[in-house]
Amino acid sequence: MISGRVVSTLVAKDVMLYFRNRFFAVITVLGVVAFAGVYYLLPRTAEEQLTFAVHAPVVPPALAQMMTDEGVTLEAEPSEESLREAVEAGKYQAGIALPEGMQEAIAAGARPEVRLYVSADMAPEFGEVYGMLVRELSFVIGGRPLALEVTEEVLGPDLAAEPVAPRNRMLPLLAVFVLLMETLGLASLITSEVESGTLRALFVTPMRVPELFLAKGITGTMLAFVQAAVLMLVTGGLIRQPLLILTVLLLGAVMVTGLAFLLASVARDMMSVLGWGVLLLILLAVPGMAILLPGLVSRWVRVVPSHYVADAVHRVVNYGAGWADVAGSLAMTLGFAVLFLALGMAALRRRFA
Amino acid sequence: MRANAIVADSLTYRYGQLTAVDHIGFAVAEGEILGFLGPNGAGKSTTVKMLTGQLRPQEGRATLLGLDIARETKRVQSQIGVCFEITNLYEQMSAIDNLVLFARLFGVSGFDATALLGRVGLDGRAKDRVETYSKGMKQRLMIARALVNRPRILFLDEPTEGLDPNSAAAIRSVILEERERGATVFLTTHDMMEADRLADRVAFINQGKIVALDTPHTLKQSYGQRRLLARVAGPDGTLQEREISLDQPDTAAAVQDLFAQEKVVTLHSEEATLEDIFMSITGRKLA
Repeated sequence: MISGRVVSTLVAKDVMLYFRNRFFAVITVLGVVAFAGVYYLLPRTAEEQLTFAVHAPVVPPALAQMMTDEGVTLEAEPSEESLREAVEAGKYQAGIALPEGMQEAIAAGARPEVRLYVSADMAPEFGEVYGMLVRELSFVIGGRPLALEVTEEVLGPDLAAEPVAPRNRMLPLLAVFVLLMETLGLASLITSEVESGTLRALFVTPMRVPELFLAKGITGTMLAFVQAAVLMLVTGGLIRQPLLILTVLLLGAVMVTGLAFLLASVARDMMSVLGWGVLLLILLAVPGMAILLPGLVSRWVRVVPSHYVADAVHRVVNYGAGWADVAGSLAMTLGFAVLFLALGMAALRRRFA
Repeated sequence: MRANAIVADSLTYRYGQLTAVDHIGFAVAEGEILGFLGPNGAGKSTTVKMLTGQLRPQEGRATLLGLDIARETKRVQSQIGVCFEITNLYEQMSAIDNLVLFARLFGVSGFDATALLGRVGLDGRAKDRVETYSKGMKQRLMIARALVNRPRILFLDEPTEGLDPNSAAAIRSVILEERERGATVFLTTHDMMEADRLADRVAFINQGKIVALDTPHTLKQSYGQRRLLARVAGPDGTLQEREISLDQPDTAAAVQDLFAQEKVVTLHSEEATLEDIFMSITGRKLA
């Protein structure tokens, strides 16, 4: 039989102790402020323009047409030297230098040399894209347009149609980070109680072990959930589907509470909580990184439990997904939460014994 | 005749191959102070852990206030108070917060933390964080915490070890007050003087077994030797010691000879200490 009086007394005690631990009190407040700051420092709009320059004694009509296309910023440079310097200085992602008499040379069946300059920090795949662009251009200039029609069909939601600003891509990662900070806080709280012997004093009172776990679970979940919710509130993450986002965060908070139990069962003191915790933090941050930098990781990221929290936050906040769209992620997060809580409680029981 | 507050029957606990507590049995009456004495590793702490529900006996059973501790652990724990040997207070909380926390866990209504702190002389620092307390103050707070539920049985593990004389005296005073109130006190200690002064009976535990259990007076009568210690002036004026057993048939003659042949400067009787008795029974020192 669970006693509400005992549980509420323990929760009040844990919250008091949490905020009297200077390290975690500061981390908690600073964490939310810093994460919100990072969010607002990132660009609010997605940069989807192809920005490159060209030097051509005579601009071919095909290129002139391209300059008017949406999503393409094409500038003309007066000389190949100035083109090269502009790309090197980071003004353009790429620069194309067309030789004099190119159109005539192609018509005569010669192979004129076109120089492509790319900036050093450009991803290799983008370099290839510009190369293909130049090759396609040569066909068009030679009066031999590609003899095929490309029809594009988007399978699933058209994510490209709704460009996501970098700050919003960052949001799932920040939400996961805030949740994980509480893993460290709760694990540290439990470890310090074991280390100082105060748990022994509790165990010779009428308090029962399930009441202790329930109180710790409520404390950990509440702290993690409130902070993540505050972060989402100040970053505008609750504008779309607030109830759904709060549900995702609540399940995520329960999951990290289970992880905190597991962490506390292996850690001996605060330093070892931080040691093990950082490892956990790196692993569980990967799904958020994958959203921030698409193509960074492959499908194996689905085995990382935080993937389902990050994925649900991303789809709801950035694409307006609904309950049905993220039901799978919700179910997986719930499953991981139950699993980690069960494993964590079993491991902690062994430690208490 | 008073009822038994604690009855241990063949209690046994092993850590792997080591038998820490080996089929011990004893009873403590309500309102009695039992001194539980033994050297380090004798099995004192394991016994206390079994009696307070922290460890489950592997053999035998213990009843406290008529309740089996292994089966009705929480009912028993609601009626006992435990003061641990190591300080295990919430150091980042105040003394009042520490006491109120435990009072709520015990479900004590109308709890007056200030009055309890006054009993142990801490009412002036009631709102200070425990981390700012001296060792003696922390120990007094540990005693106060063990009393929040007005326990019928009080377990005290080395309550005065390493304390200044004032703190130790304050704690002894509280122990005697608790006995006056009717509480049973199970006092684990290394301090022979303390046990002699406070305990109605003492139990010696050695290598997991109880080797003697009686009142200090009876133990001294049974195992100790009474003696006279005399200081006499030697021919060159230096003081020398002479010892005469009071339990020998020729004691009277020996005393007469002493006064006839020596210049007695001081003379006093001395009875055996509990330390002496423990040594005579086990061949080991207590501390």
